[in-house]
Amino acid sequence: MATRTDTSAPEGIKAPAKAIEGRSLGRIAWTRLKRDKAAMAGGITVILLILMAVFAPLIVGWLGHPPNEFHQDNSLLAAELGGLPRGDFLFFESSGISGDFLFGLEPQNGRDLFSEIVYGARVSLLIAFLATLVSVVIGSALGVIAGFFGGLADTVISFLMNVFLAFPLLLFAIALVGVLPDTAFGLSGNSLRIALLIFIIGFFNWPYIARIVRGQTLSLREREFVDAARSLGARGPYIIVKEMLPNLVAPILVYATLLIPTNILFEAALSFLGVGVQRQVVGEPGVTWGGLLSDAARNSVVHFMFFPGMAIFITVLAFNLFGDGLRDALDPKSKR
Amino acid sequence: MRNKGRVLAAASAVFALAVTAACGSGDDTTKTPEVKPEFNAALTSVFNPSDKPGGTLKMAISSDWDSVDPGDTYYGLSWNLLRLYGRSLVMFKAAPGAASAELIPDLAESLGVPSDGGKTWTYKLRAGVKFEDGTPITSKDVKYGVMRSMDKEVLVNGYTYFNDFLDLEAGYKGPFKDKAADTKAITTPDDQTIVFHLKQAFGGFDYFAMLPATVPVPAAKDTGVKYKEHVVSSGPYMFDKYEAGKGFTLKRNPNWDKATDPNRKALPDAYDVKIGLNADDIDNQLISGDLHVDIAGTGVQPAALPKVLQDNALKAYADNPAVARLWYTSINPKVAPFDKKECREAVMYAVDRTSYQAAFGGEFAGGQIATSIMPPQIPGYAPTNVYPAGADNKGDLDKAKAALQACGKADGFEVTMGFRAERPKEKATAEAFQQSLARVGIKVTLKGFPTGDYFSLYAGKPSYRNSPSTGLGLMVNGWGADWPDGYGFLSQIVDSRVIRDSGGSSNLSVMIPEVDTMIDQALAETDVKKREALWAQIDKRVMEEAVILPGVWAKALTLRGKNVTNVFVNEAFGQYDYLSMGVAQ
Amino acid sequence: MAGPAGLVCPAGPAAQAEIVVTFFIRRTIGAALMLLVVSIATFLIFFGLPRLAGATPETFAARYLGRTADEHTQQLFAEKLGFYDPLWLQYWNWIKAIFVGTDYDYGTGIEHCAAPCFGYSFRTNHAVWDDLLDRLPVTVSLTVGASILWLVTGVAVGVLSALRKGSFFDRAAMTGALAGVSLPPYFTGLMFLYFFSYQFDLTAPGGTYVDFTDNPGEWAYSLILPWITLAMLNAAAYARFTRAGMLDTMGEDFIRTARAKGLHERVVVTKHGLRAALTPIITIFGLDVGLLLGGAILTESTFGLKGLGYLAIDAINKQDFPQIMGVTMFAAFFVVVANLIVDMLYAVVDPRVRLS
Repeated sequence: MATRTDTSAPEGIKAPAKAIEGRSLGRIAWTRLKRDKAAMAGGITVILLILMAVFAPLIVGWLGHPPNEFHQDNSLLAAELGGLPRGDFLFFESSGISGDFLFGLEPQNGRDLFSEIVYGARVSLLIAFLATLVSVVIGSALGVIAGFFGGLADTVISFLMNVFLAFPLLLFAIALVGVLPDTAFGLSGNSLRIALLIFIIGFFNWPYIARIVRGQTLSLREREFVDAARSLGARGPYIIVKEMLPNLVAPILVYATLLIPTNILFEAALSFLGVGVQRQVVGEPGVTWGGLLSDAARNSVVHFMFFPGMAIFITVLAFNLFGDGLRDALDPKSKR
Repeated sequence: MRNKGRVLAAASAVFALAVTAACGSGDDTTKTPEVKPEFNAALTSVFNPSDKPGGTLKMAISSDWDSVDPGDTYYGLSWNLLRLYGRSLVMFKAAPGAASAELIPDLAESLGVPSDGGKTWTYKLRAGVKFEDGTPITSKDVKYGVMRSMDKEVLVNGYTYFNDFLDLEAGYKGPFKDKAADTKAITTPDDQTIVFHLKQAFGGFDYFAMLPATVPVPAAKDTGVKYKEHVVSSGPYMFDKYEAGKGFTLKRNPNWDKATDPNRKALPDAYDVKIGLNADDIDNQLISGDLHVDIAGTGVQPAALPKVLQDNALKAYADNPAVARLWYTSINPKVAPFDKKECREAVMYAVDRTSYQAAFGGEFAGGQIATSIMPPQIPGYAPTNVYPAGADNKGDLDKAKAALQACGKADGFEVTMGFRAERPKEKATAEAFQQSLARVGIKVTLKGFPTGDYFSLYAGKPSYRNSPSTGLGLMVNGWGADWPDGYGFLSQIVDSRVIRDSGGSSNLSVMIPEVDTMIDQALAETDVKKREALWAQIDKRVMEEAVILPGVWAKALTLRGKNVTNVFVNEAFGQYDYLSMGVAQ
Repeated sequence: MAGPAGLVCPAGPAAQAEIVVTFFIRRTIGAALMLLVVSIATFLIFFGLPRLAGATPETFAARYLGRTADEHTQQLFAEKLGFYDPLWLQYWNWIKAIFVGTDYDYGTGIEHCAAPCFGYSFRTNHAVWDDLLDRLPVTVSLTVGASILWLVTGVAVGVLSALRKGSFFDRAAMTGALAGVSLPPYFTGLMFLYFFSYQFDLTAPGGTYVDFTDNPGEWAYSLILPWITLAMLNAAAYARFTRAGMLDTMGEDFIRTARAKGLHERVVVTKHGLRAALTPIITIFGLDVGLLLGGAILTESTFGLKGLGYLAIDAINKQDFPQIMGVTMFAAFFVVVANLIVDMLYAVVDPRVRLS
């Protein structure tokens, strides 16, 4: 039930954790993955999106205009209509879509929507990846501890997980962003915001990873090779690092992949609600897809909603397809 | 020629008259002739005049205003509306065009009579005026209304004009703290007479007597913060149903006597006010005729704007009134490098004024590009443009760079700009600043604040905005006249003495001793023409200091509902006159 | 959700009943404890953190007082509302008010705020509890309509997909479902509004809500788009679950047994397969409904529906702490209670759970 007030959680996380065989991530998985066309399409899209984010300045230089540049010339924006872009394209009325502006213009200020979408991938992917990393680190650590040691540790951690699930998370995230100071930890402005968002999103999602890792650990704990190690005199930490972790890599990888799209949606939701990364002229433009959508909501110009929304949709879908495929590939019991 | 807007308005008035004449006898209001709708037809003349009573006037607004309690409200729309259920001592004439700037007696028999060189003001109440329950209204009820409004701990909204000007005893507590509290600053020699005693002479006290705080309140029925749930009416209408945050209905007040009230037509039988409707839906309902008035009076939403402007049939139901309001940006001289005037001037020259206008929705929905602080409709306005932003208003980059050179920051500098996060137009303004200032190397960092705390805790609080760590060099701001005269518009935003350490003041950047002196001079000046000229000089003087960057003088593209009669824009509010409207049956 | 099953441990009927009662009591205490922790955390975030970030008792008072209050007035008011008290005492008073009510002095006489008292809004001075109750019908209407819609369509599509595994329908439905879970509701909502309301004028515009009691037809008309938006998202997820669940159960031994007994395939599917597959779905459904009753923030703000989620965002934007506290606790309450109900139902249905 991830961060769902009404954002969606990937189904993999929702589903009761199923034991995934922790065998070598070898050729078998890769062969299975290669055969899964949907997963491959998802994977390729993900790679393209990452490339787009990394090379945003190049792409924009080639196909667009700087993302913050205003284009208020009367030939582009109809000043007499309150700054509505001139020109229709298919059903995108008053969009200003042309060879020069591939996705049209933003009303009123005439920014190049294509460039904004390209740059939007940076914030979105950066936050989603790093927040996932945070969740994975916290979740795996606590999950292993709870599963391996059981007893009080398990009770406390399980209770904590339940408390986190009872929190209206979106609310908390919004409130936290609003309450915290402008400068902290030697960071300020957008870098602080991004760090904060990564931490908040990551911190609130750890129970999903933890729950899965805990379950896996529980079942691994009873397995022969762990018993064997224990009987040979190995101690807890050694067993966790040397025996358990390698077997946990596969499930963690799968659920991390499935957590990324949730985090993308979370970040977009925060931006949509106006508490995400702020736009800046200095350095990174800080454009977000969610932020664009929230601006678009006020204007009722369809292209302005369509492109940012589609950007979120395609990105999330690509990760979901790939994550699904990855799980099937790594899970010999999976049924398709 | 005072300004272009006026001339245009006059021209369209002539045109509207011609149309009315062409359609038949414009004077014969009893027949309610079919009047052809026309763009701006209600701007300077009465559109669809009528004296026919009856019907329910349906009004709506998307977000609630502060309060319907006359002692606790600071919204223009609320002052406009509350005349239906409350009578202040004095009011603005309910008439189209410039006539609405005239003050006329309402609850009082005549305008105030000054004595003691303007330090004492006396009003006589009309005879026979009653509350909704039939009790006669006395001067004590007016006094009580003013006294309660001064307790800012209970009635937190609104102005402090009476607190600031009345000659109150030290330690005066007010009726909420002490039921028996009294003050000699307001005296009531008899039931019909009320006398105000001021600390200093003030020639414009009639403007204070216009404030809703002078609406009578029966002390026995006052429930403090909860009085808004049942305001006792002194006007032609009284509250029927009241649902906090959702709306209310008004019905006729049987104890209102038209003989005591020459100012109100009181045409509709009832008013239905809905609060919290979707803003776009309000536009749609106005267009379809299901709704008569958008009380907010701030014009149609961005979604409906192109629709209205492109469709002549729709546009004929629209007006484009100017509002005595300036959207501007404060440049804070207490934050480096704006302590140097040249650095402030660089900003004045570099900002693209057309993008400021675009941020507010362009010429119709946003307003006219402002060149100084005082809006053109304020008496005494004199055109001035101290920092011209180039021929095309897109900024004068050469002069900006020269100014940067002069202030020792040839390569530009970094500055933080504050704005109210929930206001899209102000956010757009801030982004436009980023964009245009980047052209000369000034890097602007944006910072949004919660709207409710902007003035009380952040931009309005000197310790926050001037602090080296959180300093705000630029702050998006806006100000509407409390009433259309120099004092009503300028005093709260250019007088340095209104700035308080505890925050809350609208003046964020103007601290010029010379201007304070000029304000005192203007206050004491009894000659109207000379006083108006003084306010114009103050306007120019503040501009020279480059601490305020004027954006737009606001305009709104408003829709008058179908079937509404007797519609006109009251310039004192910059909105349709809610007191005069009727409904065609 | 049910924890991993422990060992099945047979016990006599009396012992069984005792176990059930103990289990219920334990879970109820756990739920109360959880609410307590949530309330402390919430209080710390909204009243503690700002203090660390530089807010003073006066700045809290300033929010009640508006712009014109001077420093002295702010201090008096902060004193009156107890903002100078230590944080734990403020928390204690807040908790106490919920259970026994409290008196507020607004300068116009003492006003009693009856339990459950969540205090008064900083901005409007309304009692928070009244605001919550006022917004509840909108959220309940949204949740009930949408949940029925998504449960029915989701399960139906899931079952059909599972039964025709590998068919064109299956693949199309599952692709659609994956797309569905990838769609942010504020995007679908906006597009729906644009096309169905703004362009074709088929549905109510955003922000309209008519009470069910006023006019049931208008009520449904005003909510149809939000219902579909919210339902789409969850229907997709439920279709995927149901399909997976069905495939799992249909492969189990008891299904094979049922088939071997010669039962009709339809009976096997509905009586045995579906029933087993639906149990976890109903669990998740309960939790989802609980979660949504606390406010569907994104759907409500996209459609301008003034429910609890909208109130929450509004309160946060206005930094109206008593209101934020109220709405957060309200939401947490629904989640915890939903958890509790689901747990208890589960315990009745599946004895293994009681021991976990």
